[in-house]
Amino acid sequence: MKFDLSEEQSLLRDATADLMTGDCTLENNRQVAEASGEGFSRAHWKQLAELGYLGLLAGESVGGQGLGAVELAVVCHEMGKVCFPGPYLDVLIAARALEDSGSADDIVRAIVAGDEIVVAAHRDRVWPNDEATLAFAGDHLSGAAYFVPFGSSADRLLVVAGDNTVLADGPFDTEPMETAEEMTRLSEVRFDNPARRLGDRALAHALTDLTAVGVAAHALGLCESAMQRTVSYSRERETFGRPIGANQALQHRMADMLVEAESARSIVYHAAWSVAAGADDAGLVAASARAFAVSAARAIAEESIQMHGGNGFTCEYDVHCFLKRALTLEHHPISQGDALGRALDKFSQSFAA
Amino acid sequence: MDLSFTPEHEAFRAEVRGWIADNLETTWAAAVHDPNNDQQALVEIRRAWQRKLNAGGYLGMGWPEEWGGRGATGVEAAILAEELARADAPAIPNFLGLGLCAPALIHHGSEEQRRRFIPSMLNADEIWCQGFSEPGAGSDLASLRTRAELDGDSFVLNGQKCWTTFGPFADWIFVLARTDPEDRHGGISFILADLDTPGIEMRPIKQITGEHEFGEVFFDNARVPRENLVGDVGEGWKIAMTVLGYERAASAMTWTAELGNDLARLITTCSELGLDDTRTRDRLAGLVVRWQAFQSNALRGVADMADGKAPGAESSIQKLFWSEFNQDLQAAALDLLGAGAHLKRICRHAPPDIDWSRNYLYARAGTIYSGSSEIQRNIISKRILGLPQ
Repeated sequence: MKFDLSEEQSLLRDATADLMTGDCTLENNRQVAEASGEGFSRAHWKQLAELGYLGLLAGESVGGQGLGAVELAVVCHEMGKVCFPGPYLDVLIAARALEDSGSADDIVRAIVAGDEIVVAAHRDRVWPNDEATLAFAGDHLSGAAYFVPFGSSADRLLVVAGDNTVLADGPFDTEPMETAEEMTRLSEVRFDNPARRLGDRALAHALTDLTAVGVAAHALGLCESAMQRTVSYSRERETFGRPIGANQALQHRMADMLVEAESARSIVYHAAWSVAAGADDAGLVAASARAFAVSAARAIAEESIQMHGGNGFTCEYDVHCFLKRALTLEHHPISQGDALGRALDKFSQSFAA
Repeated sequence: MDLSFTPEHEAFRAEVRGWIADNLETTWAAAVHDPNNDQQALVEIRRAWQRKLNAGGYLGMGWPEEWGGRGATGVEAAILAEELARADAPAIPNFLGLGLCAPALIHHGSEEQRRRFIPSMLNADEIWCQGFSEPGAGSDLASLRTRAELDGDSFVLNGQKCWTTFGPFADWIFVLARTDPEDRHGGISFILADLDTPGIEMRPIKQITGEHEFGEVFFDNARVPRENLVGDVGEGWKIAMTVLGYERAASAMTWTAELGNDLARLITTCSELGLDDTRTRDRLAGLVVRWQAFQSNALRGVADMADGKAPGAESSIQKLFWSEFNQDLQAAALDLLGAGAHLKRICRHAPPDIDWSRNYLYARAGTIYSGSSEIQRNIISKRILGLPQ
């Protein structure tokens, strides 16, 4: 038994960390998100392709690395630390569905090479009482998807319409859905596009746990960065002639941050390993990890803003980025409430039968 | 990264399960849940169970075989703890003796002390309690004032211990006593005392649950033979701190399994009562997610142990997490189940299998004993986060 990463996984972590602390620091990412119309850097995207990140999960026969959930967690974890912008996870999940369908290997190759962006779009309504409108018939997709990450940059979109997992070809009629988080561009997509059926809905739904691991790992990165910045700030910032971090009232709150962040680390990597190994409780651990890590990220980021005082309320300081990304993740791709419900149902099936 | 148990571990788990199935008498579970049984009767059930475990070779898992142990790995100890909790086996009565005193004897005691005390400890012939806390020394344990003065061949003990867990049912006590008033940590010694010694009085303390699981102990010129000193004079603090670090990974697995059982019971009860509204589901789901995080923490601890990593300050994380989770779980049970959950077990209409209100009250203790939550947060701030003091 071993909780630590293997040698190869550690190398992947270090390489990803180098990439993120080199060109993709949070400061750079904020500038990219602000300056680019798309909200992410095509140059960085191409770099991800060249370094093999876009083919992380794809099989070797389609140019990928054939890695699994633990490696996905390692990469998303590092990306979360710097609020990396772009549809990374959504593209990897779409590519996996395409590959699993066995009928779109050419497109998977294009994704892995960075030539095409294919995003998994998950939400078919905005409000709980809305009617879903997505409909697939006769190689044509109609209706709308919402909160599609970087939908206006997508060449194709993967959606579930009725009982079908469908790949729709762009270009798409999109409209921005702006939220407080400027570093994740969301779109409404109104479909009137040619499309093909890849399989039934189970094709997409089979990736629920893997997606949960990616989201949870990204949230873990947010937890750690928000905590580290807060701890550093509390050492430097002085009031009444001493660092604010010397006050027990704040020390105990930072201790709570650490408990949440370390527990998030345990559950996220446990989930990643369980999904990779096909463990019996993978569904429970993955859904729980997603719900736990995202809640922890939000709670730690809220505390981080509070402990940064007035500075935390300014856009100049970075800590608000962690909070806003956590808020985005709470609904991505499923809502926090749905993740909680899934965890409860899985636990009940295992233990309370 | 690999969180799977090895085939050897799985074989050990299967062996343990089989042994429990053959040896855990079903009448015990009923007796433990029988509201008419008094505490002494329950102690006798626990004693009988400990003797079974001793005969089966499942006590002192990590100790050398020479001293009645099994020489097992920490992972095996954790598997045993998990399986016992999963089977809802009674707790052993001598958990303080075996958990703290025996390791002190094995690592710091004399050959004679080991031979005299360990076999009877293993067989629950003599039950032990822990004399650490005092009225004026709880979280700040090193400020303890109970004195031990050497007079000829005896130590003369004077002072008071309190919150002495299992004291009212114990035969012996291991005491931290001050042998040098000038030296805060180096002036403390570790001494074993027979509770029948003239000058020692044990008074049960009634707890908020109505039970008297702990007591207070008064020492009034109690004379204890000099050979009952463990280690050297002044080594008590060091001994106490090292033994407190043992068996932590195993205890995390116990808590995971026990809290998992409680949570499954709560979910089943809600389901039987037709409680499936959003409020109920939301509350239960929040508990499931936090329980899973705790289980993952425990599994990580076991894997780190198997990987040869020494346990560090993460035990503070575990302690904070389970004690506060337990409070949340018990509070949720009272909130969701309503008035019926408050009924004492002897009442008609009371829940048949679990005493939720007693457990809710009992959970108050978890954030106080073994280093309060506040102390754990101090430890994390200082040792892990390195915040300015």
